[in-house]
Amino acid sequence: MEYSREIYWNVGHGAATLVPMYLLSFVAVAILVYLFARRIKIYKQGLPLNRTDQLPQRVSAMIKNVLLQSKVLNVRGPGLAHALFFWGFFILFLGTCLIFLQADFTDLFFGIKFLKGPFYLFFSLILDIAGLIAILMLLGLLIRRYEVRPPGLENSADDIIMHGLLLTILISGFVIEGVRMAVTESGTSLALWSPVGLGVAKLFANLDETTLLGLHSNLWWFHLLMVIIFIAIIPLTKFRHIFTTSANYLFTDLGPKGLVPTLDMEDEEAETFGTALITDMSWKDLLDADACTSCKRCQDRCPAWTTDKPLSPMKIVQQIGEIAEISPTTPLLGAIEKDAIWSCTTCRACQEICPANIEHVNKIVDMRRNLVLMEGEFPGEEVMTAMENTEVNGNPLGIAFASRGDWAEGLPVVTLEQNSDVDILYYVGCYASFDKRNQAIARAFIQLCDAAGVKVGILGKEEKCCGEPMRKMGNEYLYQMQAAENIEQFNNYGIKQIVTTCPHCFNTLNKDYRDLGLDVDVSHYTEYLAELLEQGRLKVTPQAFDCTYHDSCYLGRYNDIYQAPRTLLAAAGAQLTEMEKHRAESFCCSAGGGRILADENIGSRISEKRAQMAAETGAPTLISNCPFCLTMFEDGIKGAELDEQLQPKDLAEILVERLAG
Amino acid sequence: MKILVCIKQVPDMESRFKVNAAGNWYEETDLAWRMNEYDEYAVEQAVQLKQQVGDADLTVLCIGSDRVKETMKKALAMGCDRGFHIADDDSYLKDPFAIATLIAAYAKEQSFDLIFTGMQSQDRGSGQVGVLVAEMLGIPSLTTLVEFSYADGTVNAKRELEGGIKAKVSCATPALVTCQLGLNTPRYPTLPNIMKAKKKEMISTPVADLNPEASLLEVLQVTPPEKKGGGLILEGDPADLADQLIKLLKEKTTALA
Repeated sequence: MEYSREIYWNVGHGAATLVPMYLLSFVAVAILVYLFARRIKIYKQGLPLNRTDQLPQRVSAMIKNVLLQSKVLNVRGPGLAHALFFWGFFILFLGTCLIFLQADFTDLFFGIKFLKGPFYLFFSLILDIAGLIAILMLLGLLIRRYEVRPPGLENSADDIIMHGLLLTILISGFVIEGVRMAVTESGTSLALWSPVGLGVAKLFANLDETTLLGLHSNLWWFHLLMVIIFIAIIPLTKFRHIFTTSANYLFTDLGPKGLVPTLDMEDEEAETFGTALITDMSWKDLLDADACTSCKRCQDRCPAWTTDKPLSPMKIVQQIGEIAEISPTTPLLGAIEKDAIWSCTTCRACQEICPANIEHVNKIVDMRRNLVLMEGEFPGEEVMTAMENTEVNGNPLGIAFASRGDWAEGLPVVTLEQNSDVDILYYVGCYASFDKRNQAIARAFIQLCDAAGVKVGILGKEEKCCGEPMRKMGNEYLYQMQAAENIEQFNNYGIKQIVTTCPHCFNTLNKDYRDLGLDVDVSHYTEYLAELLEQGRLKVTPQAFDCTYHDSCYLGRYNDIYQAPRTLLAAAGAQLTEMEKHRAESFCCSAGGGRILADENIGSRISEKRAQMAAETGAPTLISNCPFCLTMFEDGIKGAELDEQLQPKDLAEILVERLAG
Repeated sequence: MKILVCIKQVPDMESRFKVNAAGNWYEETDLAWRMNEYDEYAVEQAVQLKQQVGDADLTVLCIGSDRVKETMKKALAMGCDRGFHIADDDSYLKDPFAIATLIAAYAKEQSFDLIFTGMQSQDRGSGQVGVLVAEMLGIPSLTTLVEFSYADGTVNAKRELEGGIKAKVSCATPALVTCQLGLNTPRYPTLPNIMKAKKKEMISTPVADLNPEASLLEVLQVTPPEKKGGGLILEGDPADLADQLIKLLKEKTTALA
């Protein structure tokens, strides 16, 4: 006998079934389309932005993230539950589509049935398992949400509706199957291919056929009605993320990662700079708010939030959404606290983990731009002083620009003014130039290059701050002035390759300066030295030592450079004990986003929290790759009273101690 | 209301100073330039006054080479309406009296209601230019202000005196005031104002046109301060500190001999 089942069994395949069914479906889809059209109007309040270029890449990003749930799976527990639920539900959706395809299309018009034989058995089994997994995962997530309740997880009416409706749909589906099987498949081998349905069927085995038929028919219509409601309310509830988050993958920022759009300072027409109102943002910024599912992964990882500052990247995105929907003319910084905006270290932990590819950081930078460029406001007077120092002396520390190259005295390095025939330009940056502790990094790097036979030049007093802290603080104007002067120097000397020791300089020169016309190869010293090591030009004698390693935000998350520093550490003989938060999950030192210029006077100290994490590894040395991080750890370790057990060091210092000599 | 604010461009005090070849001032290479700190308070107060009275015209005046125009632009970006530049490459050789006569010559023609200056310059520090200008114009001057208010032709102010004492003073305009640290927090120019400043009127007049008078003072020689021995910080508990101090006094001085 050929395995199969009668589609529309018991409910009938006549007009009495099909007309109301299709009518309801049509109404549901019409409501869905209408409500989404209204939401699209909300997004359209934003400024234009081209996010439909490079379509093949965009589509593949969407497929990867929707079907494979790649970003969702970055968090194991709930991520896996969501992915399994999604796959289960998606398979059920496909199964329903196949039924529709056969019953109301191929069979109806061409007499072709494909849900039969071995394929039907497979179909039946897979759908049963998919449904079971979906129910189990949904129950698991329900328990997590209402019983376990991780801190920060907020429950709204949406969550109850969603869990309730989905469970009702899934369970009623199995009951319908069970009741049908109790009538048509009891005792057959076919029933074994629907194990869950069979289990349910056994519960109903004692009922008489008339009762079963009546129950089946009622449940079938009930199940249909639930599905209709589900479809219709998608745009009204967090269910909308099925579409908005998928769309967000399609319209995702394809990079370069973490690039901040360059403002046109010469634009005579521009009346305002930065973001004050939602109409100053792009449509994608407003779609972002709708793509948010309140999963709070960003908030969990935000160094500001976890040290009791008023910044939650999730809440900012949601506040933007609320204003866009309810009161689009309300100034954003009425609803959003200024201290929240100023607290951001632009560490990108929020954006890296966000399963909806929401772009938090640039929204914050754009709001800062408005405060700085239009209002002349800063988080504190110390920041304004740092800006003025930079205007006058080209560094936020306010030290005489003419002494910028003094650290290099006696070292095998030339200024390009003396001799521009060099292999690389070492762009030193402000902290390695002026800060006593960080000058050790600059000296170490020169010695390492010298040992590898690399001729290094610096700009000395002709170098200016790269402008990164000012830019991330919102001062685009000052950044562009610094950048223009630096780029002019690079071009004057015909520089071919730049190496930096500061990841902030690296990221800025390598990405942001491109917009302003820089076209030179730029590397961070960790990658540059790893290459010299591999080529055999740099020789390091390993000496065993215990350490832990801090992935700086601008080398790690911004540039995905995780391996080169670890290769160098291994070559130096490091016994590396990783902190729990490492690589893409690394926890900021607190100095990014221009916060290096600002006092940290809300909540507890981020640097101390990170020092604590490093101390928990038991390693006596905390290695970093960034002058900002080193500065913060010097303070943070003392602040957390860990200086007896933990010492901060830059990777370059470790290497120079081990130069084969 | 017509307001004048006089500013000076000075080297950043963090710069490394060298005495020039003539030995009478500092060498200008490798210096970073900025607005004299006290003049920033003057500009800020003048701009606040302009905003308060509404119908006011605020001129910023500066004497020096073309280089000083950069600093004037900052004052324009902070809110001054127009710039009057007295072009003089050798202004550093003029004493406070000669500088004051130039300002007075210009101000006399313009009949300003109120003139703001810094209390002193960070590089020469004579503290005389403001009061000399007032004398030359025959108007009252209030110096070292830490509080300022204006209403109906009267200035009410607080002056900082020695030893933390403050004096309340008032006078009728026209008048001249000199501004001290603590008077206000100078604003950071906004981008639209920086852009507008680029288009504001800036008149540059050769110093010769203002009939400069000869200086009364001449700088004979400028030298860096003598290098003195470094200080010594003793550490420890009080008893130990006392012992250390007695030991030092015995060994290094004749105080206990």
